[in-house]
Amino acid sequence: MPIHEQSLIRPEDLRTHEKLVVDGVDVSGHWSTFIQTRVVTDYNERLQEEIAALPGGEYIHRCWQCGSCTNACTVNAVNPDFNPRFWIYLVRMGMESELLRDKDIIWQCVSCNKCTYACPRDVFPEGVMKALSHWLELKGHTPKSPAMIFDETFAAQVIARGRIEEGRLIKGFFARTGQSLRQDWLVEMLRRMLRHLPLGLLGRLGLSSVRAPRTRGWGAAREALTEYVQEQRAQQRRALGLSALIAAARHDASGTAGD
Amino acid sequence: MSRPILIVGGGPAGLAAARALTQVGQPAVLVEKNSRLGGAPILSGYARLVPSGEWAKDAIGGMVARVQQERRASIHLGTTVKTFTGAPGNFTAELSDGRRIEVAAAILCTGFTHFDSLNKPEWGFGTFADVVTTTQVEQMIASGRGVRCPSDGRKPERVAILLCVGSRDRQIGRPWCSKVCCTVSANIAMEIRQELPGCHVYIYYMDIRTFGLYETQYYWRSQEEFKVKYIKARIAEVTSDGQKLIVKGEDTLVKRPITIPFDLVVHAIGMDPNVDNGAIAQIFGVALETHGYLARGNSYGNTAETSRAGVFVAGAACGPETIDDSIAQGHAAAVRALALTLPTQASA
Repeated sequence: MPIHEQSLIRPEDLRTHEKLVVDGVDVSGHWSTFIQTRVVTDYNERLQEEIAALPGGEYIHRCWQCGSCTNACTVNAVNPDFNPRFWIYLVRMGMESELLRDKDIIWQCVSCNKCTYACPRDVFPEGVMKALSHWLELKGHTPKSPAMIFDETFAAQVIARGRIEEGRLIKGFFARTGQSLRQDWLVEMLRRMLRHLPLGLLGRLGLSSVRAPRTRGWGAAREALTEYVQEQRAQQRRALGLSALIAAARHDASGTAGD
Repeated sequence: MSRPILIVGGGPAGLAAARALTQVGQPAVLVEKNSRLGGAPILSGYARLVPSGEWAKDAIGGMVARVQQERRASIHLGTTVKTFTGAPGNFTAELSDGRRIEVAAAILCTGFTHFDSLNKPEWGFGTFADVVTTTQVEQMIASGRGVRCPSDGRKPERVAILLCVGSRDRQIGRPWCSKVCCTVSANIAMEIRQELPGCHVYIYYMDIRTFGLYETQYYWRSQEEFKVKYIKARIAEVTSDGQKLIVKGEDTLVKRPITIPFDLVVHAIGMDPNVDNGAIAQIFGVALETHGYLARGNSYGNTAETSRAGVFVAGAACGPETIDDSIAQGHAAAVRALALTLPTQASA
């Protein structure tokens, strides 16, 4: 029998048996198309607690599913599958596998904060989206995005020296993302700069890339910042049930010094 | 001295009417069919009341004590009214103990009857020990022993509260909203979370009707401070796998069926018309409205009127009502009845 509204069923939830005999009746092929059960058999209360433990996710429990966030959403206007209201619900009910189906679009939030202003319950959906991306990354469901790697390289330099140096930042970023330094746009930029021969600038740039500049008296600030960041990371990983071992390994890999 | 006013029913509305009348010097006769005064909050052992959080035994118990101290209040417990004849200002009531009393007016404060969950067998009450009603949870809290699974006394780790049990359900002839159950359930959910912080509480709803200021005090607060979860689903059935109760339904927001294990399932039972309303309507010659509650004679001018002049009504007798509004209606009915004791009004 044909399945009504088959378009509403995900293809992976349909099972058609080439050969199937039920109670002595051959129902092979077309007649043996079954829909896999979609029943939710339990709630996982951990999931909401994990998201709430990450920055931005603190107020997720306030959501009453009115849909104001999705209605206001910039990305939803372009991609109807981008539905913050739905993801908040999945998190609250602990439907992790369902959430992971959308892992490749969740991080596309552009942080326009229109949802933040629309939300009647101060859930701060934009923060929740940030926490969700962070969670996906920490749990290893999504690779770090280039933007996140750039942010990390940038932050690591600031924490280490109290300032950034563009040459090192670009080099560090390209090295960590496995990109060549010979980018067309970079080559072009340098070529045009050379045309004007800004000797002072080039000199400073060259000197800086050899002798990393540093904000004077930065030591105390660096220690405080490093301690804070480590504390936060440890706390988040504990909340997510990630072992200290993994935490340490990932921490090293992210490169505190930035070069 | 003027004839007394008959008050039928010693719950919040009746106590309020009795107190209001006697305080202005008007004698009142309070007839209560049960052996105690206090109505549902006392007889059913409610715990903390909405909205003040006072214990029922203090708040309503205090009303009982004040009425019992009234010299002008004549209280008849375990008694009902058998016949009621006469005209406004000049009625005669015959009580079940054979006594005949002359009264100027009557105020019916006969209240409601809790819905009996056995009428919704698919939700497991009466079949599984750990399916209970909001009234039973109130009693658990009021007893001081805390919320426990009746089957073995263990602390529940996950509780489901099912709203609209005996309300908004044409299948069982109860299409009305019982008005208070959403707020009461939010209140109970917060009390459970307070007593058992490790216990997760889920409320299954069709709509949330924590009207007026209860919105923030109960609905929002239960979510924001106590992390109670609300799921839009009307439960189809409650079964058991031998270990846990299994709640089945459809989570309408994700369009998926759910079969979730719970330790304790609570029915947020509604308010039925008083089971005695048929008899009350006959004895007092008043009309019932379509759902079986006492009909108000007037929606705006004199809200305490019934269809019979000189017979007034207050509280949950004429529809699901909160305790505080029942008390206010008791006061209002008292003033209207009092007017019939004045010489100029008696013949009107």
